[in-house]
Amino acid sequence: MTNPSSSASGAVMIEARGVEKWYPNGFQALRGVDLTVRQGEVVVVMGPSGSGKSTFIRTFNALEDFQKGSIVVDGITLSNDVRNIDAVRREVGMVFQQFNLFPHLTVLENLTLAPVLVRKRPKAEVERQARQLLERVGIHEQADKYPGQLSGGQQQRVAIARSLSMEPRILLFDEPTSALDPEMVQEVLAVMQELAREGMTMVVVTHEVRFARQVAHRVVLMADGQVVEEAPPDQFFTNPQHERSKQFLSQIA
Amino acid sequence: MERSVTPAGWQRLRRELFASRTDGLITLVLLGALLALGGGFLRWALFQAEWAVVRVNSTLFAVGRYPLDQQWRLWLLTALLAAATGLTWGLLRGRSWPRNDQLATVLLAGLALAAPLFLQLSLAIQARWWGITALLLGLRWGAGRWGDRLPQGWRRWLPLQWPLLYLLGMVLISGGLGLMAVRPSDWGGLLLTLVQSSFAILLCFPLGVALALGRRSELPLLRWGSVLYIEFIRGAPLITLLFLGQNILGFVLPGGLAPDRVWRAAWVLTFFAAAYVAEAVRSGLAAVPRGQMEAARALGLPVPQALIHVVLPQALRVALPATVGQFITLLQDTTLLSLIGLLDLLGVARTVMANPAFLGKNAEVYLLLAVLFWCCCAALGLGSRALETRLNPNTLSAARA
Repeated sequence: MTNPSSSASGAVMIEARGVEKWYPNGFQALRGVDLTVRQGEVVVVMGPSGSGKSTFIRTFNALEDFQKGSIVVDGITLSNDVRNIDAVRREVGMVFQQFNLFPHLTVLENLTLAPVLVRKRPKAEVERQARQLLERVGIHEQADKYPGQLSGGQQQRVAIARSLSMEPRILLFDEPTSALDPEMVQEVLAVMQELAREGMTMVVVTHEVRFARQVAHRVVLMADGQVVEEAPPDQFFTNPQHERSKQFLSQIA
Repeated sequence: MERSVTPAGWQRLRRELFASRTDGLITLVLLGALLALGGGFLRWALFQAEWAVVRVNSTLFAVGRYPLDQQWRLWLLTALLAAATGLTWGLLRGRSWPRNDQLATVLLAGLALAAPLFLQLSLAIQARWWGITALLLGLRWGAGRWGDRLPQGWRRWLPLQWPLLYLLGMVLISGGLGLMAVRPSDWGGLLLTLVQSSFAILLCFPLGVALALGRRSELPLLRWGSVLYIEFIRGAPLITLLFLGQNILGFVLPGGLAPDRVWRAAWVLTFFAAAYVAEAVRSGLAAVPRGQMEAARALGLPVPQALIHVVLPQALRVALPATVGQFITLLQDTTLLSLIGLLDLLGVARTVMANPAFLGKNAEVYLLLAVLFWCCCAALGLGSRALETRLNPNTLSAARA
């Protein structure tokens, strides 16, 4: 599969400039990070643990705050204004490492909760759409079960369907396969690949090299709260420019 | 079938109780001690105890000095409660009669037959008890048999009967809406105990949840206010707070605004229990992973909706056993009201025991009190266990499947 480079001309969906973040204990997690994501682009963020990659993508939907720099998501400037934050969260979906499904609700209720409460859409219509989404990720026959009765891979696919239920324009993935048993990784990656093929804008924090090579338009390597290298996957994996990138690739190979 | 079970049962008993010579000896000694104790108790209860003290004062224990000509209101309330219980019970169970339900039915029927006879009530009052029991069991049967014919909309609104019934009960007890007013100082016995504890239980729960959320809030003023309140209340014995409430509210609030002594005590109980409920709920909140809130927020839910629909349902399920434990403590703490001069169950008991006609009948009275409190607490405990099973998604889906 070749990486279409034409997407570089799409509209800018995420524009982060010089983002810096300190934790209350004084530790600086982000040291001036820049990133631009265009519509339909798939950007994979890699890096050693503690490099700030999760923290960075969590700033895009304001799950983490930052002290310096600016982030514009889909034309909305992130600030302390609560209305802005709620508006951004309606446009940005997120898939977590630990799935974070709501264990007290059925699979179907997990998908319908937010569209009914936040978008105020009629319940019957939302349920119909939710069943279609479940079919898309291949688990429609589990709709009335509780998350605890599903396997890890199934749970993560439900979580992807749940984030899609709000019809987001951008999807963030925070290590979506790291908590999965190895035999379940592929079923989740397949769903993500399908989403990318349909043109979803995605930012993915992951260690899955094969996924990055096949699906990503760009790979970003972060270390110590900074972007070290940013390149198309072919170039990044075969001919990394920076010492830090070579070191990281030799560790995960 | 039974023949094959009985020898196995015997063998198990033998294995567990008479495995060795020492085991057998211990079993025999303990069995002997138990028989001696139980026999002694039965001998006292059946032949030595004089239950006249309970018979003569049964109305006093039940409702205190509630005016005789107004007691029909309490009978009406009891009948309504029985009807609501039967209806809810029947709708929950449907046509099936599990073993527990059979047991409860036999117990209720037995109680309705035996208790009035034991208390030697007049036939008119006995007939009321029989009628109320028949109403409860009849509705249980009827609602179970034909409940599924009710329209779905009706069934959904039926739980609302309980809060409505509670408000109606308050009106029936205290008067108003055309009924003659009965002053709270005339309420007593089991009636006062139940009014006080149900009022405090119903109000301390939302208050406790609010305090627990306040303690975890990011707003410093809210957080420190909640911490201060919880730690102050938990640091003071209830009895001092009750005395404080009786005295200080009269000074703080001008003239007629201060609530009646009975209601002052009810509010103190409420505020006291709320601090403990808050700690139980806090432990429940701590058990909900942070990711739940994050996932809800990432889906665009505002904080209040995320709390109501995602975090609190999970937290309260974890906190339920501790919270109900707190409710049971609260019910028992109402006995302290007798120390500030209110005639709750213990207060009535003390006046009865002070009556020269019943001198030395303390054992009978205290046994009655213990049985009454045990019944109330057992009902709370059973209710909480039933709720726990219903709230657990795994047993729920098993029931649905």
